[in-house]
Amino acid sequence: MMRERVTHLGAVAANRIEAVGSMTRFGGLILAAVARPPMRLNSLVREIYDTGVLSLAIILTSGLAVGMVLGLQGYNTLVRFGAESSLGAVVGLTLIRELGPVLTGLLVTGRAGSAATAEIGAMVATEQMDGLRLMSIDPIHFVIMPKAIALMIVMPLLSALFIVLSIAGGYLVGVQLLGLDGGAYLSSLENNVSFADDIVGSLLKSWIFGALVGLIATYRGYMAARNAAGVSRATTSTVVTASVCILLFDYVITALWGV
Amino acid sequence: MTGSVDSSSTTPAAGEASVALNDVCLSFGDRPVLNRVTCSFPTGAVSVLMGGSGTGKSTTLRVIAGLVAPNSGSVRVAGREIVGLREFELATTREQLGMLFQNGALLDSMTVFDNIALPLRERTDYSEEKIRSEVHQRIEAVGLADVDDLLPGELSGGMLKRVALARAIVLDPAILLCDEPFSGLDPPNVLRIEALLVRLSKQLGLTVIITSHHVESSRRMGEHVTLLFPEESLSGTTAELDALGDPRVAEFLGAAPV
Repeated sequence: MMRERVTHLGAVAANRIEAVGSMTRFGGLILAAVARPPMRLNSLVREIYDTGVLSLAIILTSGLAVGMVLGLQGYNTLVRFGAESSLGAVVGLTLIRELGPVLTGLLVTGRAGSAATAEIGAMVATEQMDGLRLMSIDPIHFVIMPKAIALMIVMPLLSALFIVLSIAGGYLVGVQLLGLDGGAYLSSLENNVSFADDIVGSLLKSWIFGALVGLIATYRGYMAARNAAGVSRATTSTVVTASVCILLFDYVITALWGV
Repeated sequence: MTGSVDSSSTTPAAGEASVALNDVCLSFGDRPVLNRVTCSFPTGAVSVLMGGSGTGKSTTLRVIAGLVAPNSGSVRVAGREIVGLREFELATTREQLGMLFQNGALLDSMTVFDNIALPLRERTDYSEEKIRSEVHQRIEAVGLADVDDLLPGELSGGMLKRVALARAIVLDPAILLCDEPFSGLDPPNVLRIEALLVRLSKQLGLTVIITSHHVESSRRMGEHVTLLFPEESLSGTTAELDALGDPRVAEFLGAAPV
């Protein structure tokens, strides 16, 4: 009984390690595809539109809502210590350093990452990828690479928009609703946010999350079983794996570089 | 025969079959799919690959196309051994292949014109004008018109197969693989596709290999029929197969027409 459990555990661990190796190799193939002409600029622009522009509504709405909640909670907490004039810094730093990149990563995973997996998985199931291979067109170069690169490009941009809208949401609640001085809100934000440490770090974090979501979403789709259930499983797996990876990498990046 | 041609050659030697499988075995996990399959398909003829469900007809086509690598055995396509070749090494052999997939395998996001033009844009340096002319020639050859701007989702089953066929022949392949080209089609469309394949084979000298369950079609168009059974494969004309008196053949092909 004990021996069977250990054997099972070993098999599970070996499978996981093999999957990580396979995903890393897949990432290498994407990078190699980037360096190989043609550039696929039209596909890239279309993917940026699909993953970026079509995600704007959910990113902007969520950003505004998160900022309003942060403004309300922050004001109610800070007012106990007579420090409500620091609301701008609290809202800004929380969003720029942490919540902006992480929440944008999770939202993009749910919207664009899952869509990328489903589309690629459906192409695998309906033999479209095989059709490309038969025409000697590399599916990684033609389909996968533009999707993965588009996610890497749009993630920092969406995160920046999320943060701007959130700060505006905090301003709306703190200044317009609760009567805090507008100048105090903005000056505390300006005085406490460092471009080099906070903003560049935030964009770097988003870029890493974009690369993670791009890799996981495309890999899961490409490896999906050739049926509807397989595509469904791959899509779920993308959302779960990418979300957990974003949270884990967030800790690692913060611990290593203090971003 | 298979050992007599240089492995880098891309054209079959005189009298050699376009495609020859020898002792091919393939398993998916623990499940054997192809068990020592040996068969060949003559150059310039329409061959039909038949067999019960699960005997590996579609897998055989995928092996010939190099989309799946067998566990063992030899596969020669257009005079070249393809087993063991890497993806980029298969490119020269695939230049000689066109494939009509069971569900068309057209790219959903592209129009009919762009789907057919795709191999020309990717594999040749033709001008857009030349591409337009080539695409329209193929659309006409498969009996369609005014479909350029339609998406695959807007086509009927028969039209979808014909567009996929147009894409499969746009690079003038020497060998055309057709996976269940008649599945899901009504009788008039079956006859239309059947006539189209025979005409293309005759006009272009194509070697056509079809997987099918359609006994009537196979009898009508198959100059050469291969029957796949779990333990062996039998090949010949339908008359030759009928003459074998094998009960498995009789069960599959039905009584020979009088």
